[in-house]
Amino acid sequence: MSRRYDSRTTIFSPEGRLYQVEYALEAISHAGTALGILAQDGIVLAAERKVTSKLLEQDTSAEKLYILNDNMICAVAGMTADANILINYARQAAQRYLLTYNEDIPCEQLVRRLCDLKQGYTQHGGLRPFGVSFIYAGYDPQRQFQLYQSNPSGNYGGWKATSVGANNASAQSLLKQDYKEECDLKEACGLAVKVLSKTMDSTKLSSEKIEFATVGRTKAGKVYHHLWGADEIDALLKEHDLAKKGEETAENVG
Amino acid sequence: MVRYSLQSGWARLPGRICSRSCKTRLELYEITYPIGIPLTTPPGTCAVGVKGKDIVVLGCEKRSAMKLQDTRITPSKICLVDTHVSLAFAGLNADARILVDKARLEAQSHKLTVEDPVSIEYITKYVAGVQQKYTQSGGVRPFGISTLIVGFDPNDKTPRLYQTEPSGIYSAWKANAIGRSSKTVREFLERNHKADMDREETIKLTVKSLLEVVQTGAKNIEISVMAPGKPMEILPVEDIEKYVESINTEKQEEAATRRGGRTPGTGTAAILTRPADDGPSAS
Amino acid sequence: MEVLLGITGKDYTIIAASKAAMRGATILKASDDKTRALNKHSLMAFSGEAGDTVQFAEYIQANIQLYSMRNDTNLGPGAVASFVRGELAKALRSRKPYTVNLMLGGWDPITEKPSLYWADYLASLAKLPYAAHGYAQYYCLSILDKHHHPDIDFEQGMKILRMCTDELKRRLPIDFKGVFVKVVTKDGIREIKYEDDMPVKSA
Repeated sequence: MSRRYDSRTTIFSPEGRLYQVEYALEAISHAGTALGILAQDGIVLAAERKVTSKLLEQDTSAEKLYILNDNMICAVAGMTADANILINYARQAAQRYLLTYNEDIPCEQLVRRLCDLKQGYTQHGGLRPFGVSFIYAGYDPQRQFQLYQSNPSGNYGGWKATSVGANNASAQSLLKQDYKEECDLKEACGLAVKVLSKTMDSTKLSSEKIEFATVGRTKAGKVYHHLWGADEIDALLKEHDLAKKGEETAENVG
Repeated sequence: MVRYSLQSGWARLPGRICSRSCKTRLELYEITYPIGIPLTTPPGTCAVGVKGKDIVVLGCEKRSAMKLQDTRITPSKICLVDTHVSLAFAGLNADARILVDKARLEAQSHKLTVEDPVSIEYITKYVAGVQQKYTQSGGVRPFGISTLIVGFDPNDKTPRLYQTEPSGIYSAWKANAIGRSSKTVREFLERNHKADMDREETIKLTVKSLLEVVQTGAKNIEISVMAPGKPMEILPVEDIEKYVESINTEKQEEAATRRGGRTPGTGTAAILTRPADDGPSAS
Repeated sequence: MEVLLGITGKDYTIIAASKAAMRGATILKASDDKTRALNKHSLMAFSGEAGDTVQFAEYIQANIQLYSMRNDTNLGPGAVASFVRGELAKALRSRKPYTVNLMLGGWDPITEKPSLYWADYLASLAKLPYAAHGYAQYYCLSILDKHHHPDIDFEQGMKILRMCTDELKRRLPIDFKGVFVKVVTKDGIREIKYEDDMPVKSA
């Protein structure tokens, strides 16, 4: 077995590029869009889910948004199976840090841990790189609310608003146009659904097609994260006049 | 004696090493060696290192942040390996993170075992050694980065500047550049580097050499300064701005003098820039 | 009969450690520094088995500094204390445990508060306003109980420390050769000149 796979170790092309990594990036560009927006008092993550069926259990099958630890969540674009491995790793890393230092892992460190693992797969062992990009949203006392993005090469960066997946170029330019530095979480949620509605292939938005999550702080100063339920998403859509009538949605899903 | 290892910080990566037989490995490398190992620096922003009399300066081309990027979190291309050693890289960001991490671990581990902090040459040799290992062992690709390593040895006032390459070669320099357009910059440095420059001259030459390839001025330049026994100093943008301005006015003056013909030179210019043919040959 | 003392105040933590290096009842050295700076705002004082102490302290120091280099930020005093406790606990359950008692003085740049942690070789950890190790506990805790207050300024803190060292000189059967005094504040760690030769009247 080893022979066969070792020969596929990621190697530099004559121009110094890593094709395996670029193929992985290509795979992600077909995944459902995910985006994140940093606001003054929190962060919102939103994602388009591709698989929708009337039979799918709504609350228990999150496809795009995951909780990493008490003050960090992430959105996934790419191969969900790969993402599960990485999320598992991140959760363990976060808990290990908590055990060692008795405080939550700073956001950038958790992102870096994950990216170091991703980097390893572009350099070691004749395996393929992970086919996932992430958007991370979190809070730590040193740098308050932070939004990160990482890709299969193991690169990461901090953002005020960003997107990954299909149509991410148009999502990015929409965000660039409409993002306001001083916006609050509520406005950011509005912007998120607006951008999603414009970039998604189907024109009809409904709670079955998107996932939503926010990170914020309670009045007492405690950090919370919240994966939105279907009714909350529907309420938000209604508020921004993006929801379609109930019947139509049902038809569309069928 | 019990030896204690430092916390390695990340889980062991599943880097399997193929060792079916020597023959298969050789076969493998006949294919991958010529195209697999970049003997020159892969694409990446430009980095410059310049030594002065008792100072050494690193300069980097900095991509300007996009509008939506969070400026608090911009991974720098200049990193500290230990308090007295800094490193600038050109190439793949993610690879650099791993390599720098290994260097940092070695720096602390060295200090723990032999009490003295690492010398600049030692850590350079270590970094180059790691890079070399990744060109020779099975199932891995080489690190896609070149580095400039600078600093001062403990209790020593001689500035040091080394370069390492993906192949594992390392070398000592008076001034050098890596990354995009490094050839242009190196040639500029060859023309303009002088021995025993003071702090101002050294920083100015660094900025000036970077301006050869960075058109957008101070906001796209990052400068770090190291002096013996002092912590690394990252120059604020305003300071770099001043250097850029003074360089620009100098250039204009010079152009004016050349056009004006016989106007006597001001002689205040810290660094003389002349065309290669009539300049004093440096290094 | 090594002395470790720690006192926190309004915006500082004082750590005092005896200067005598002893082997049995013999004093080998009268200027032994039993402290190590871990990072800008954390200082660790240690006592216990001769070889273990320095070995453990330097191992911790290397790891804390490695953290600073890697993450471009210093570990806070609380996190340092947890890490140290973890390492002690790990060693305790290994073939050769460290016999080291510790005192960690720090200042947290995020909460902007001073802190003092007390740990012993059984990996107990406690955050305290003032603390002592060894025989000093018997003689000093009562003084500290009586005079300490969380809001005391630096001069008052030093005054209480003087009361403690005077009492130690009066009552300890062996001369501990005075103390090194270090203080951690928002500006970092600094050594305080401390008069060791002041005569103390016996009780």
